[in-house]
Amino acid sequence: MIAVVGWGAVVGGLQPLVAAIGSAGGVNVPLTFLIALVKGVLILFVLLTTAAYLVLAERKVSARIQLRLGPNRVGPAGLLQPAADAVKLIFKEASAPEGRDRFLFELAPALAAAMALFAFATIPINQTICIGGHGGAGPLSQTCPGGLALHWDLAHLNIGLLFILAITSVGVYSIFLGGWASNSKYALLGALRSSAQLISYEMAVSFAVIGPVLLAGSLDLEKVVHAQHSLWFVFLQPLAFLLYLTAGLAETNRLPFDLPEAEGELGAGYHTEMAGMRFGMYFVGEYINMVTVAAIATTLFLGGWMAPVFFLPNWLGPIWFFAKVGLLIFIMLWVRWTYPRLRYDRLMQLGWKVLLPLGLANIAVTAVFVALR
Amino acid sequence: MTAIFGVAAGIAFLGALGVVVARRTLYSALALIVNMLALAVLFLLLDAQFLAAVQVIVYTGAVMVLFVFIIALLSPGAQERLNPLELRLIVGVCAALLFTVVVVRLTLNGITVTPSGHFHGTIGPFAPSLVDRHGQVEVLGEQLFTTFLLPFEVTSLLLLVAAVGAVHLARGHGRRASQ
Repeated sequence: MIAVVGWGAVVGGLQPLVAAIGSAGGVNVPLTFLIALVKGVLILFVLLTTAAYLVLAERKVSARIQLRLGPNRVGPAGLLQPAADAVKLIFKEASAPEGRDRFLFELAPALAAAMALFAFATIPINQTICIGGHGGAGPLSQTCPGGLALHWDLAHLNIGLLFILAITSVGVYSIFLGGWASNSKYALLGALRSSAQLISYEMAVSFAVIGPVLLAGSLDLEKVVHAQHSLWFVFLQPLAFLLYLTAGLAETNRLPFDLPEAEGELGAGYHTEMAGMRFGMYFVGEYINMVTVAAIATTLFLGGWMAPVFFLPNWLGPIWFFAKVGLLIFIMLWVRWTYPRLRYDRLMQLGWKVLLPLGLANIAVTAVFVALR
Repeated sequence: MTAIFGVAAGIAFLGALGVVVARRTLYSALALIVNMLALAVLFLLLDAQFLAAVQVIVYTGAVMVLFVFIIALLSPGAQERLNPLELRLIVGVCAALLFTVVVVRLTLNGITVTPSGHFHGTIGPFAPSLVDRHGQVEVLGEQLFTTFLLPFEVTSLLLLVAAVGAVHLARGHGRRASQ
């Protein structure tokens, strides 16, 4: 168990490293590294806390939908429930099956949590701020002559969106290897299903995000947000938005797309044999992925940090950003407790025969629109 | 930056070594993934951000997933260790040496090293301003669709051939199964 936590810490600690690489274009490398370190720790803290409280939010929302009260015993209104859950998970006996692959069995859950944390690195939660120097960072130039440009993402990459897609594509390994290493038929079946599902819906996600990218003319997420200055892309790209949310739900393995777990048929799917913190890592990873999917949708379609109506102040950027993320997450919870699970063949049909052609058509129409503009 | 290069290069080397010496096939594939991720970090250090992302998306996220799939499901089991005097080892070492010579020759092509360790080379057809932005998507896309349009289209034809071949094979199997 300690090994698992250790793994998570080590891999999670790689974040500042990537950030330093990404933003070391400037001169002052030690300062850049320090800033990246602080940002990395902050993001780790915020994401892990958010994940913990999302579990509580999910239980509360589901309770309301089913006319129950939900957890309300630990702390005022059940607010300390996440802490109790965490303590329970950490001290639970981490039983493990015979004949497992010992190394991969430890590695896979840590990979799930680490990749989920990684993916958040290039999402800007506010526009670049100029500290010192003259002339604030212009909305599109993102430069700050003579001062320090403070980016509100961990790694300011020219290809921020591609980075997220890349990390997501690596996340498949955590599920497949976890299921395979467990040496159990339910886990293996769950792993197979989920790998097929993740690979299929990755295509749909990639196609859906190309629409806003075409309109903005950049893969730099900050530029994509700036391009929504006058009109959010959700109004120009409603189809892409719906496609992204649907495929995003499938990418995070949530109902109605939680075939990899499908407790009615597979026990618990790929993490059937995972107990204690090994399960906890998958759990945390899933909830962080929800935050990431909502954050990407916010950035690409809902104007990121921009105020929802023009007379509200824009300098409250992060607050608007997280409010939008929260709204999307609520919709995801709502969907989960409203729709039943899809059958597996229907899931594949939806992915390949509905989402993919629609995504392609959307790209074609958008491209023509951009070319004629 | 040098420290990061050292770490990434070391991991890449260990990964490459792991591909060869790992006893179980699945671990060989995983070592190859580690190697590819380390290479992506090296690309990032060279400011080739697009190449780094594509390296991870295509190789780590797509090609190797299929490799791992097949290896894990067919589970070829533990392989016997290499006999040091085996023919394939000798062939392998010769190939590695040949490859090293080619790479060194290509690297020093037209480049001279001064005693102080600085490199001097001839300026190619690309302007320095373009070279500075070489890793960015905009430059890459522009070059692909202007200078290198024909090779680009020919490559897409190659992929089409592969896709048609895969469909043909899959359909052939299906017919046999239904008979």
